[in-house]
Amino acid sequence: APLTELSGDEDFQLFLQRNLEFTRKIHGDVAALQRVVCDTFQLCKEEELLLVRQDLDVAQALLEQCHKRTFQAETCFSQIRAGLRIYHGSLATIRDLLPGHAALVETLQLDMANLSSNIQQQMEDLGLATVTYPTENQDPLPTFSSRFRHQVGGFFILANFQRFLETAYRALRHLAN
Amino acid sequence: GGTLGCASVAVGSPIVPLGSAVTASCTIQRELCRGLEQGKVRIIWMLDNKLVAGSQHQGPGGTEVSNLTLPRFNHTQARLWCCVEWNGTKQRIGMAEIRAGYPPAKPLNLSCILNLSDYGLTCRWEQGTDSHLPTSIVLKCAGSRAQVVTGCTPQGGHSHCTVPRRLLQLYRQMEIWVSATNALGTAESEHLRIDPMDVAKLDPPTLQSIQSIPFQTDCIALAWDVARGTEHMELQCELRYRAPEDPAWVLVTGIIGRAGTAQRCGFLFGTQYHFQMRCRRSSASALAYWSEWSPGRNYTTHEKAPTG
Repeated sequence: APLTELSGDEDFQLFLQRNLEFTRKIHGDVAALQRVVCDTFQLCKEEELLLVRQDLDVAQALLEQCHKRTFQAETCFSQIRAGLRIYHGSLATIRDLLPGHAALVETLQLDMANLSSNIQQQMEDLGLATVTYPTENQDPLPTFSSRFRHQVGGFFILANFQRFLETAYRALRHLAN
Repeated sequence: GGTLGCASVAVGSPIVPLGSAVTASCTIQRELCRGLEQGKVRIIWMLDNKLVAGSQHQGPGGTEVSNLTLPRFNHTQARLWCCVEWNGTKQRIGMAEIRAGYPPAKPLNLSCILNLSDYGLTCRWEQGTDSHLPTSIVLKCAGSRAQVVTGCTPQGGHSHCTVPRRLLQLYRQMEIWVSATNALGTAESEHLRIDPMDVAKLDPPTLQSIQSIPFQTDCIALAWDVARGTEHMELQCELRYRAPEDPAWVLVTGIIGRAGTAQRCGFLFGTQYHFQMRCRRSSASALAYWSEWSPGRNYTTHEKAPTG
């Protein structure tokens, strides 16, 4: 059955409730990292960095099938997993930027991997096709020509990831209602 | 078994169920035993320091063989000595250690708590009766479908250990059990099927303020903060309060944690009350733990306004 018709399914609802909370947790941890970036590098407002951003190659995962107008649950789940993988890799940039907060970054990466496999298992339980990613992320990390651009890159990775999480959260909540 | 080079002791099994039979044989190759080349070799058995009778016969190649059967081995641990008489003395020339016990008992009353400061899952259980044998105890946990089994090993004979966060799968059902193995078998506890988050132990909320609102009524308004690290959780909380002389608490249930405020009426005027609050995850299962009660907070309601 299309995912949207599963609103009455108890297991599916339990999956949604659990992973709504999980997404809120991850969102909270990303916000904590944003505060650290703000406190450490005085990079706090996106609107002050729009010019620099144009020259930066920063990861951004799009969730077109998760938006209301074009909502397609199965594809949305796959896009969420793909995005989690992209940002999982990008967080290595943050870990390099904030060595003193490596533990928080690693916890975040662990949570992201868990969330992705929770979604994967749920999709498999529903008989949907899923992608199994290799454990190690082979994607090359972006390089930055200066420390400042590295810091701005880190800022935008976190900002993009927050928007990604908010969209994913709305999609899960849409299915939960 | 241990040997002097000229004698070898073989046992059916070095580890046996307590009370079962033990068989052993001691074979002496005279030509390898300096001092035993001449005369008759009489093999004597000792269980620790007690003589036990075996039956001796000649074996292949001029060896002397003694077989021993102990019908009911009731020692948890003993040494079986093969000796010979030599120059009027008893010489210990071979030995085998034998242990006896039981298969491991089923570990009981497995329970787990997730510590939210490091997201480690600490599980405790009761070991059950002693098997008297070296027993390896491991806590195992697997994702509901994963073949990968991780877990932890209790240290120093304790019956608890902590699974680190990196080996856990949060927000999804995991299967958790204790496995005890010794030479005589394996026993497993019941398998818990839980989402680690469902056994999260929260820190208590903090009562921030208590006020008489609306003024001049028997109502009060409470404000609280949920514990750090639980902001993303949907919590259900309970409030309890009583006047110092009251033996029983009044318990208010079903408070939404994230609301942060609540109002309650029916208080006596000019009376001091003691308030405490606790919370747990509302989406959790019956296994969920309440936080401890928050530190208490006193509040004295205002005197009743004079009427007329």
